[in-house]
Amino acid sequence: MRLSFAITLGKFGGFLSRLTKRGSGVMVTGRIILKIVPQAVSKLSQGKSVVLISGTNGKSTTTALIYKSLSTKKPTVSNYTGANLFAGIATALIDNRKAEFAALEVDEMVLPWAIQQTQPKVIVLLNLGRDQLDRLSEVRVVAAKWKSALATLSPACKVLADADDPFVTWAARDLVNVIWFTSGTSGHMDASTCPECGVVLKWSADKSTYSCECGFRKPSPEWILRENVLAGPNNQKVSIVSAIPGMAALSNAARAVITGSFFGVSLVDSSEAISKVSSVDGRFGQLTIGLTNFRLLLSKNPASWRETLATSASGPQSLLLVVNAQTQDGKDTSWLWDVDFSPLKGRTVFVTGDRRLDVSARLTVAEIDHQITDNESSAAKIIGKNDADLIASYTAFHRLAKGVKR
Amino acid sequence: MSLKIVHLLPELLGTYGDQGNVEILSWRLRKRGIDHEILVVHAQDKVPTNGDLYLLGGGEDDAQIAAVEILNRGGSLRKAHNNGAHFFAVCAGFQLLGASFPASGGRTIEGLGILPVETIAASPRSVGELISTPTIDIPTLTGFENHGGQTRLLEDVQALGNVTHGVGNGLESKIDGVITDQIVATYMHGPAFARNPELADWILARKVGVLNQIDAPIFTQLHDERIKNAR
Repeated sequence: MRLSFAITLGKFGGFLSRLTKRGSGVMVTGRIILKIVPQAVSKLSQGKSVVLISGTNGKSTTTALIYKSLSTKKPTVSNYTGANLFAGIATALIDNRKAEFAALEVDEMVLPWAIQQTQPKVIVLLNLGRDQLDRLSEVRVVAAKWKSALATLSPACKVLADADDPFVTWAARDLVNVIWFTSGTSGHMDASTCPECGVVLKWSADKSTYSCECGFRKPSPEWILRENVLAGPNNQKVSIVSAIPGMAALSNAARAVITGSFFGVSLVDSSEAISKVSSVDGRFGQLTIGLTNFRLLLSKNPASWRETLATSASGPQSLLLVVNAQTQDGKDTSWLWDVDFSPLKGRTVFVTGDRRLDVSARLTVAEIDHQITDNESSAAKIIGKNDADLIASYTAFHRLAKGVKR
Repeated sequence: MSLKIVHLLPELLGTYGDQGNVEILSWRLRKRGIDHEILVVHAQDKVPTNGDLYLLGGGEDDAQIAAVEILNRGGSLRKAHNNGAHFFAVCAGFQLLGASFPASGGRTIEGLGILPVETIAASPRSVGELISTPTIDIPTLTGFENHGGQTRLLEDVQALGNVTHGVGNGLESKIDGVITDQIVATYMHGPAFARNPELADWILARKVGVLNQIDAPIFTQLHDERIKNAR
């Protein structure tokens, strides 16, 4: 009764927020519901099969793909538009009260709460890497929070964990019901020491495996993605087709296919459904500014910049980088020096955003020719009637994503 | 003779982008045609004792402890210091040159003892823009600090700067870093040499003598913009 009242009031709040153009209403709705019924997420999760997706990079994309896979079977709710804190999760759950599945993206630090509230059937752990060190924690701290939260899981809950990532491995290694996945990513910029004992972690020459004298080592994976073929237990095999470009997208698609299989969606049906998703919440969407047709890419930390630069390498000649350092971006831009910008050599590079001078200094030292512009429009004026990639940090991306053609 | 710059343990002391300092030094030397080599020392490598300038950056707790162990092997870093090498150290790198620094679980870890400083744990972390008036003849210094330790000078050593914004060494000292005949240390990330080109040149000049100017206004623009927008 109280919950129904909270939901009605929450929806009304969201409606007012949209009406007054303050926002999408997602956050307002969730906040009101949780204010009135703090246990709302727990209550709303009852009777649903909940999948939680968390990690530093790839949350929204993986969640959207899992949503797509599960939706082939039963009505599913999801928050893949990135509202991954308490309120966003609450709002997602009231989207369709009759939905049997929920695919919920969860901020790394909120995962312990989400586990306790939703009693998930499946958890997908993607990766952990350095991200906004001025406001979030160092990687080891996050991993430790995950480990203690995962220890409270019901043994019935399946955990699909990335064996390539030493922090994910460390957090999940004691679980009974863990299923290991590898996509063959090599090395990890934050895992030079062992998460278990702290001494220098030994990586193989090709950086594909790691081990430590204390016994910590890379587990042998049940699911393996090689090129675009996903192979699993009992000789299961399927080709993964992703309309979203890049290696990370392919791994995320594979994770979605595996997750779907836990709920009885056949690998082929999942793969088929997923292959149609070409853009998630503006990522890789098309955006016209002036005469220029931009492809919008999100990059928010060193790992995602590397991935994005690699993906963009096969893109158009011109490229615009937009870097801010507002609270949600992280206020320290030192990480720019963690990124190897040499793939940009030979491209026509423009730089804007609040921190364009930091980016320009970085590119100057990397000997990358570039031009600073006042904003996106002034870059578009120079690029003219051409295609271009636009790589934006978090706040710039979300501002620009509103203009993406849907 | 080629200037030998030693980049120490980037995988352990490279969490906060300070490896950028090495790239910037190399770039500034290249622009002037000054012969130099960069030697990157990894965890499994022997630490050379014949380098001219050693750079250390910031890192996480465990990594900082692992770094001290490696740099202590055979007393190599101390030997380098005794051989007259110069050092530029940031944050965790600054702390580990001192007598001791804190680690998780209330532990105190013995440092290399090359710098007369000690660091104790402090809560909350000092995070944000850091500005200081340097005690040497270069413009105002700007950086970004992010550390959970506060550092006390154990002898009458010179601070790098007097803090006008932010925390720096802390313990209400209102100073940042340390400067000795051979060592410059600071809590400034950014990286420090990107925002403070004249600090980079000051350190280089101590080793190679008078430097000519480089025409690269971007670094001065960045310096000025950061100071203007920090407050």
